[in-house]
Amino acid sequence: MSSEWHHSRRGRGHRHKEQGRANRERVVEQKVSVPHGTCMTMCPAYELRQREAQNRLHRFEMVAGTEQDRLPRADASRAVKEYSRPAAGKDSTRASDLRPPSVLLKTVHYLVDDIAVSSTFQPWTEVYSFVFDRLRSVRQDLIIQRVSGPDCVAVLEKSVRFLLYASYRLCGQQLQYFDPRINDTHLQECLSWLLESYRDGKHQHQEEFQALSLLYNLGSTQAIQHVLELPERIRSSPAVQLALAVSRAHMERNPVRLLRLAQRLDFIQVCAVHRHLLPCRRDLLMLYSHGHSSRNCRYPLQRLARLLFLKDGLAAELCEVYGVNVTGEWVNFSKSSFTVAPSGDLHCRRLHEPQDDEQWNCSASSVIHGCA
Amino acid sequence: MEPDPNLMDREHTRSHSGVFVEVRMAHITLNQYLQQVLEAIENRDGLFCSEMLSFKHPHVANPRLQLSSPEEKCQQLLEPPYDEMVAAHLRCTFAVSNHDFVEAYKSFQAHKEENWALPIMFAVTLDLRIFANNAEQQLQSKGKGNAGDMLEKAAEQLMSCFRVCASDNRAGIDDSKKWGMLFLINQLFKIYFKINKLHLCKPLIRAIDSSNLKDEYSTAQRVTYKYYVGRKAMFDSDFKQAEEYLSFSFIHCHRSCQRNKRLILIYLLPVKMLLGHMPTHQLLKKYDLMQFADVTKAVSDGNLLLLNEALVKHETFFIRCGIFLILEKLKIITYRNLFKKVYHLLKTHQLPLDAFLVALKMMKVEDVDIDEVQCILANLIYMGHIKGYISHQHQKLVVSKQNPFPPLSSVS
Repeated sequence: MSSEWHHSRRGRGHRHKEQGRANRERVVEQKVSVPHGTCMTMCPAYELRQREAQNRLHRFEMVAGTEQDRLPRADASRAVKEYSRPAAGKDSTRASDLRPPSVLLKTVHYLVDDIAVSSTFQPWTEVYSFVFDRLRSVRQDLIIQRVSGPDCVAVLEKSVRFLLYASYRLCGQQLQYFDPRINDTHLQECLSWLLESYRDGKHQHQEEFQALSLLYNLGSTQAIQHVLELPERIRSSPAVQLALAVSRAHMERNPVRLLRLAQRLDFIQVCAVHRHLLPCRRDLLMLYSHGHSSRNCRYPLQRLARLLFLKDGLAAELCEVYGVNVTGEWVNFSKSSFTVAPSGDLHCRRLHEPQDDEQWNCSASSVIHGCA
Repeated sequence: MEPDPNLMDREHTRSHSGVFVEVRMAHITLNQYLQQVLEAIENRDGLFCSEMLSFKHPHVANPRLQLSSPEEKCQQLLEPPYDEMVAAHLRCTFAVSNHDFVEAYKSFQAHKEENWALPIMFAVTLDLRIFANNAEQQLQSKGKGNAGDMLEKAAEQLMSCFRVCASDNRAGIDDSKKWGMLFLINQLFKIYFKINKLHLCKPLIRAIDSSNLKDEYSTAQRVTYKYYVGRKAMFDSDFKQAEEYLSFSFIHCHRSCQRNKRLILIYLLPVKMLLGHMPTHQLLKKYDLMQFADVTKAVSDGNLLLLNEALVKHETFFIRCGIFLILEKLKIITYRNLFKKVYHLLKTHQLPLDAFLVALKMMKVEDVDIDEVQCILANLIYMGHIKGYISHQHQKLVVSKQNPFPPLSSVS
């Protein structure tokens, strides 16, 4: 708006014309239409041909048997439009390149049903990278076409479930395969978009995702305030009530209660909250180091392990990392020996339920599908 | 009637006009209006000019001034930038008369000026914020636009005004535009609080802190400023600071502004309670804040049951004011008060953990066991509310023989 005024610093006659043009431009702007996609395949034909010719297909998009060829052939039934950064001069609004909401929904189902939860594709880090990118492209198409409503919500809900699951399954992986910060950025984006979409109309799975958002953002005043302002019906649902209880325990700094409540969470909820559990356990050790600080007193390691919901050995390791003295079966708490900064490395992943790939693949399906 | 906590209003329009002028204003022609503005500009009469551009002034109801394209006429009589300013203002009166607040907002601009025009800037930026608000509401009711868009744009405009004021190093202190800074900051605070982007307040606070004018602004402006800074401090859990700012705001807020005083109290009370100072019944009655009565009683008595009930009963009020979460922090204080009672009852320095468990169960605290009791006690010890240690083997809390429950104001 301010540029209008800068223009009109010229002579009087000019100014009048500028003003008129500015007024007309205002009116024109309002009539610009929103792009509507016409591409009925998961990947636009143009992109398919281009990527095939430039040998830029992903392994999962190639016709079986041609992967080792000099120029692998594209499988039109499995190719998916990739994410491409918007750039000057690049027209991302061509209708033939955009997929309408119905196709986007089919694409998401394909990515989840046929790729993410399938055990044929290994390793899962590669699956993650492919699905992550293609889902991002789906969301991009949504944004360009200004899609809102049930279709948008469905896409976002699946995206959120996928990203949450990935954050747990790939926790601790090398940075080149999985960057938790990037995953987090996208997850937050999807969540805030989803929560914004929930404001209009009724949505079947809203309670579930409000709860997941609160758990993922444990400790955030904004997240809690948002939930408190939800309509009574949603706030009183079991999922949200449980999430609020966990949140309250966190606010009151009662890790014993928090870890107990966490046992009642279902798998996807655990995925959402898991990154907060290691700091929570550290807090328990910190509080007990201060509260039980005495040279002569001892605390049974087994009991501590139970409070932490860890095996004895792992509990002892955790103590060691934070400067808590363990001798055999006994823990001696001392506020002076506890250190907030961990010495040595005890990664969050060590505290996860150990699962082999087989178990992971079984869980993937139910977790990411969740709401069918 | 619940107030909008973001409406701390202290306007600065002292109207020059008497009743006669008001009547006249409703009938003057466009030419007469423009002549008056021109005279005011030539006489550097900032106050009169600001009234000519303010929506609080009766001239805005004059249909002869409500024009959709007054540019040409304005250009004939006035020099830039006033021609555009006045034209924009008149377009705005037209839009408002048609209840089109979105258009009204768009017609609004702020300009560079010298210090004598500060009252104009005050009036214009105040109207800008109010229009942005109305435009938002209108858009929301039509289901269009994203929440906060209009207000964010208004904030950007105000920021550019602010930068002009803050960077005014040329004029002497009396003529400096820096006098406009606090007013603008208060307007910006109101917007940031409304759109929930409190982190944007930080650079503004820094600007005022480093300014040598900070204690020279009018009391009214400082009261508003400290109110918002106090609320921000609360949000950042800096309760000692929050108490300082909000107390200043409350004390210096004029006696006649009951509404504003009540608003400040809504935030001052929880902070004071966290620091161990409970309000009197008289105070709560005087300012119609009886919602806090049960909370106060519960906390003092260590009555967790009553506290939970009180929080649930007035939930809507507390949540809307944004103090529900802070009041939940009072739970820790309540635990401390309850346990202190146990200590006084048993009259020993080696307290069985079971006693605390019994006390909690009496308060109908659900599914609590000895482990949780230990955790709560450990937390209180960590925070400095209890001096002592827990012996798990003896299942006892051993407290210091001297002052095991230090006064709340000395802790945190």
